[in-house]
Amino acid sequence: MKRLLTVIATFALLAAACTSNGSSEPSGGPSGGKVTIEMWHGQIDIAAAAIKDLVDEFNASHPDIEVVASSGGTDTNDMLPKVTTAIAAGTYPDIAYMYGSWGGNLITSPAIADITDAVADPSVNWDDFWPAGRETATVNGQVIGFPAIIDNLSVIYNKDLFDAAGVDYPSADWTWDDFRATAKALTDPSKGIFGVNYPVSGSEDTTWRFWPFLWQAGGEVLSDDDSQATFNTQAGINALTLWQQMATVDKSVYLDPNDNKSEPVFLAGHLAMFVSGPWEVPVIQEANINWGDQVMPSFDGTTHETISGPDLWAVFNQSPERVQAAVTFLSWFSQPENQLVWMEAAGSLPIRESITQSPDYQKYLDAYPGIGAMVDNLGNALHVRPAVTQYPRISKAMGDAIASVLLGEAQPADALNAAAEQTNALLAVPG
Amino acid sequence: MAQAALSADNRAVERRRRLGDNLAGWGFAGPAILLILGLSFIPIGWSFLLSLTNSNLVSSGRFIGFDNYKALVHDPLLAKAFKNTVIFTALYLPAGLVGGLAVAMMLSRRIKMIGFYRTCFLVPFIAASAAEGLLMGFIFDPDFGIVNSVFQRVGIPRQGFIQSPGQALVVLAVVYFWTQFGFNVVIYMAALQEVPPDVIEAAEIDGASKWNVFRHVTLPTIRPVTYFLMVWGVIETFQFFDLVYTTTKGGPLNSTITLVLYIWELAFTFFTAGYGAAVAYVLFFASLFVIVVGLLYGRRRGLAV
Repeated sequence: MKRLLTVIATFALLAAACTSNGSSEPSGGPSGGKVTIEMWHGQIDIAAAAIKDLVDEFNASHPDIEVVASSGGTDTNDMLPKVTTAIAAGTYPDIAYMYGSWGGNLITSPAIADITDAVADPSVNWDDFWPAGRETATVNGQVIGFPAIIDNLSVIYNKDLFDAAGVDYPSADWTWDDFRATAKALTDPSKGIFGVNYPVSGSEDTTWRFWPFLWQAGGEVLSDDDSQATFNTQAGINALTLWQQMATVDKSVYLDPNDNKSEPVFLAGHLAMFVSGPWEVPVIQEANINWGDQVMPSFDGTTHETISGPDLWAVFNQSPERVQAAVTFLSWFSQPENQLVWMEAAGSLPIRESITQSPDYQKYLDAYPGIGAMVDNLGNALHVRPAVTQYPRISKAMGDAIASVLLGEAQPADALNAAAEQTNALLAVPG
Repeated sequence: MAQAALSADNRAVERRRRLGDNLAGWGFAGPAILLILGLSFIPIGWSFLLSLTNSNLVSSGRFIGFDNYKALVHDPLLAKAFKNTVIFTALYLPAGLVGGLAVAMMLSRRIKMIGFYRTCFLVPFIAASAAEGLLMGFIFDPDFGIVNSVFQRVGIPRQGFIQSPGQALVVLAVVYFWTQFGFNVVIYMAALQEVPPDVIEAAEIDGASKWNVFRHVTLPTIRPVTYFLMVWGVIETFQFFDLVYTTTKGGPLNSTITLVLYIWELAFTFFTAGYGAAVAYVLFFASLFVIVVGLLYGRRRGLAV
């Protein structure tokens, strides 16, 4: 506890100290001078270098705006605690990299900007962003930032393991039954090879990858007015039973205890199918794995729905001029020619449809062979997670339910009903 | 009369001297006190105010009195975190004391390469426990870990370890023992040097066996140190966090969730910082209770320093 408090206090002091040393003091006012805005991107290595180059280019071509970009002294995982302490100290940045699932809580802060009207400007071309990105940036009807990265889940597979087991590569029209049979055929306990992975830490990583299966089977997470859990319907039971059978009967699932071991297990050739996203592509390429990827399997052949977890460039409100400057910068940053520089460095997918028609787009596809299928898969991201403030706690209840079933400690219907009961109790308390 | 004037004069001088001493004293202690106030006491006060709100840290929230504390009673996850923390302390503490003393006695002997052995036992304590957690995550991995492959070779069935709700906490206690008991070893080694050799010699001349020397001379002499290590161990294990964060994150099925991990989740994952602060206060008072009871018990038996 003492250590935790010390850490928080140190963060607050550091944040105060960092932003109060005059040299980079962001400024700007109605006097009409140069507007300086601050950006915390949380990136490292190549991605950070790409942002720096882009920011320099922007500053050179926009004499009235100066963007000061830094990592913010943290990575993207810990950006939220960093920004919250900065908000408490009144020294928050104008733009920060934020996970989409934080939106429901960010909206409660008076420091978050409302850029709904600003992005309606035709020069921003807002509708060019994919729907999942736009929906994540819009909380309770208010636009709070720009989509930063867009991804989705697909099935990445190790071709060598398929060949060794004499199993056909998954086809684009595969079903849950095909998925289960494929995973079972690839599993070889004597060699320590698993068909597919599932994280069972009970965190959001356990929960979010379950939603596409629920949606495919015709279920919804919450009722339309966000007042009741609806994931414990027959659709939810069907989806969870599939994974239960695979994990406890076929034993074809690698149950990852803490979310970050599936990757090394896949890279070491012990996992045949890896349900994951484009962020793995640079790592897999570097490890020289002979890989392919396929869309998620389908419940009844109608949809191969996946889930997308877009991240945001959240905009914070220092003054109307600075908010406008942030919008101008982010709009420029998301233009295809600039975005491609960032995408190639970060291994992310195009956030705007027009990027896929850009002349340089082919170069990006050549740099990451196989990523094209993940781009096409964006069309399969039809739902987003509910943007309610209780979502992180609902996710925990659901994650525990899924983990208990996969570990053979509970039955699907019972576990889902228990999670639904907790969810309803959480939703009954406002905000 | 003259004497009275003199003593008044003396008193003035004395006062001025004291003032000078005081100023110098405060000058030395001031910066440290400011640091402690700024980094400990102000946050402690601030987090108490936080615990009276429904803040999510992003916004200040509204004042809700003691509702967070009332909700604590009905929180099954808090009960689980509390239980796990107590079990963890009960697993580690006796093993840490007995193991620490045993190894300290072995390392107090004059044998070849003693420096090397001493280093071996101290390295795990010095290394970052987050890194050790990652390492242990691989060693105790049920499917690919080295422990299970050794078990299989010698005919013991494969174990679930950090994936099994029944075993995960015990595995963590074992790993924690490995990383932390080096501290006990160092403290005990220092204490053993303080045991007067002439008393031991006298006991030996009187015909006491090795066990009796240990039981009736060594053990009573180092009792204040044992007592200190107990209190210290309770404080440390109540704050157990980094290992569990890097290995199981509280899973599987919350079987390794500890109080500090739960507080961290409440504040930074669930956006319920106000409630998290209330849980932090429960931890604070639980630790305080153990320390005060320990101190009183120690005083009564003349062990406290």
